[in-house]
Amino acid sequence: MTPRRIIFAVLIMALCIGALPLSAQDEDVTMTMWVRNIGAQVQELVDEWNALGGAQIELTVIPPAEFITKMGAAIAAGESPDIASIDLIYAPAFAAAGQLLDLTDLVSDLPYADDLLPAHSELGTYEGRNYAVPFAIEGSFIIYNKDLFEQAGLDPESPPTTWDELLEAARAISAIDDETYGYYFAGSCAGCNAFTYLPFIWASGGDVLSDDYSEATITTDPIVREALELYRTMWEEGLIPEGASIDDGSSFTSAFATGTIGMAGTGAFGINTYRRDHPELNLGAFHIPGKDGGAASFGGGDVIAIGSGTQYPDEAWAFIEWMMSDETQLDIYAANNRTPVRVSLLENEYSADDDLVLTAASALSVGKSPYSLVYNDLFNDANGPWLEMIQVAIFDGDIDGALQLGQDRFTQIMSG
Amino acid sequence: MKALTGSLSWEQRRKLTGLLFVLPTVLFVAVFFIIPLAMTGFMSFHDWPLIGEQSWIGTTNYSELANDRQFRKSLDFTFRYTLFVTPPIFILGFILASLVRHNIRFIGMFRAIFFMPVVIGLGVSSLLWVWMLDQRVGIFNKILLDLHLLDKPQLFLAKPSTAMNVIILSVVWKTVGFTMILLLAGLQSIPDELYESADVDGAGYFRKLFYITLPLMRRTIALALILSVIGSVLAFDQFYIITRGGPRNSTISIVYWIFNNSFVYWKLGYGSAMSIVLLTILMALTSIQYYVLREKE
Repeated sequence: MTPRRIIFAVLIMALCIGALPLSAQDEDVTMTMWVRNIGAQVQELVDEWNALGGAQIELTVIPPAEFITKMGAAIAAGESPDIASIDLIYAPAFAAAGQLLDLTDLVSDLPYADDLLPAHSELGTYEGRNYAVPFAIEGSFIIYNKDLFEQAGLDPESPPTTWDELLEAARAISAIDDETYGYYFAGSCAGCNAFTYLPFIWASGGDVLSDDYSEATITTDPIVREALELYRTMWEEGLIPEGASIDDGSSFTSAFATGTIGMAGTGAFGINTYRRDHPELNLGAFHIPGKDGGAASFGGGDVIAIGSGTQYPDEAWAFIEWMMSDETQLDIYAANNRTPVRVSLLENEYSADDDLVLTAASALSVGKSPYSLVYNDLFNDANGPWLEMIQVAIFDGDIDGALQLGQDRFTQIMSG
Repeated sequence: MKALTGSLSWEQRRKLTGLLFVLPTVLFVAVFFIIPLAMTGFMSFHDWPLIGEQSWIGTTNYSELANDRQFRKSLDFTFRYTLFVTPPIFILGFILASLVRHNIRFIGMFRAIFFMPVVIGLGVSSLLWVWMLDQRVGIFNKILLDLHLLDKPQLFLAKPSTAMNVIILSVVWKTVGFTMILLLAGLQSIPDELYESADVDGAGYFRKLFYITLPLMRRTIALALILSVIGSVLAFDQFYIITRGGPRNSTISIVYWIFNNSFVYWKLGYGSAMSIVLLTILMALTSIQYYVLREKE
């Protein structure tokens, strides 16, 4: 072999080796994806994707209360996941910190770009650029046990539409026996109460923050006091089980599943859980009512984003695009009682006769999500002012003190 | 090595060998203590978010501490907790050490049983206590109900006072074995002859305790107390897992508040400033204890 041939052969070999990862690319790729545990559905979705045989996804499920802490720490350590399903409320903070890939061009190229749910898409946007798209759609509503309604002499087909009716229904159900309670809420879970309690205030035309989210209105808006009084009354009268006061969210869904609770706040994730694990429950759903009527919902759930440090942006986007496609949205999302991420698919063949799914979907039409970079510190923090205010008012009965405490701590956090 | 040390005198070689022996420890202390400490000090003068850009802000973090209501509340809580948890750990540790002092049959088994909780991680033991305290499936409620001491299940974590008490109970259970072992070593180092001659002189139990045992155990007691107080001031896991700072934020220890600021609110700079203040307080506390319990000539 002449030296020139040797060089030529080496070059050819180098090219072949270099080309290897390209041809074997997809099968070798394993992306990491993080999600907070919002039901088993994400695992099912990822399993379906992995079965297609392309780039694989390794899913890590993280307790909701720890997601932000873990994500922040992972980013700081340079170990953030390739794909992250983020509570939509936090998307602006991560985008602002430059930790998410800019998806603006990819999203605008989608034929259904304008069909994505607007509230979720908006929270995935920061300074006019798109960093995340809707992934899990959760509007809060109240689920109720029709059998208990009937036993209490209430009409199971006409659930409460005002606070008074809700209170009366709770009283009637609690009167069935000592083991049965009218209402349930997780009294030591900050996020659960942002999701299911704030809408009581919104539905009555009140709020804890001013319209531009610049100041707290806890002491100035009389509805906040009245909403606290509603729960305080139910607690004092024993319409809520005592264990609710220390529930940090771990029994948020399971308490109602015991069949001894009349009504409880939940989201679309609840429907699937109850139907799968507790088919014996005869379920109904209604919107969270205002004091004298009206309805509201917390437009919650997750958006999905690609970490800016990923090595696999194309593969990650392929998964996201597949997730938003007609087939996945109908055959996996809708078929499993999940709310589709696209407006035109909200009503579909699976939801047609399903009151629960329709209530969950229509909750989004009265849905609201606070847009605040300090949302976590205000509402979601287990030691934050929102939960402390609720606990002092409802369990200690000091409503004046609770309102002042809430106002002061909100103001302190928002000012700096 | 010979080439390297060949030109050195015996004295120089001896020093070099000594240096090589302590080098691993020096490296360990530098990497895991000195550098992180310096870094913490450096960060405390910055606005240092967990993610994003940091900026120099001088002593602002320290001056903000003065207006932090929760910081003062947490300091107060932590010291109250330390004050309440230290005596039971120490007294019970001493009693247990006295009980297992002499080498009699099966004594090893008792020592092992008393020491066993120490081996379990604090996180694991805290989770165990969460389960034992549960109002539906917990063993405490079951026992108290069966003994008719309660007429309905108690929510131990719903009131600040009971929450604090059950935490103290769990920590005493968890750490008393360690104090016992330390004190046991101290007890066993006292020569038996002293007690024998005291017996001859007709000294009773308390006289022997106050005139022989305690004075001769001064160093051991100082060590046990200092370790126990430091551990209590730095308490975190049990509050994070068992009470999550509740009820009504009444059990947020100082380290819990540092953790919250650093990793929940993403204010690493502020958390660092608090850590430096806590370190200073701990050093002062330890010095005082050292001074009070010093060996008098």
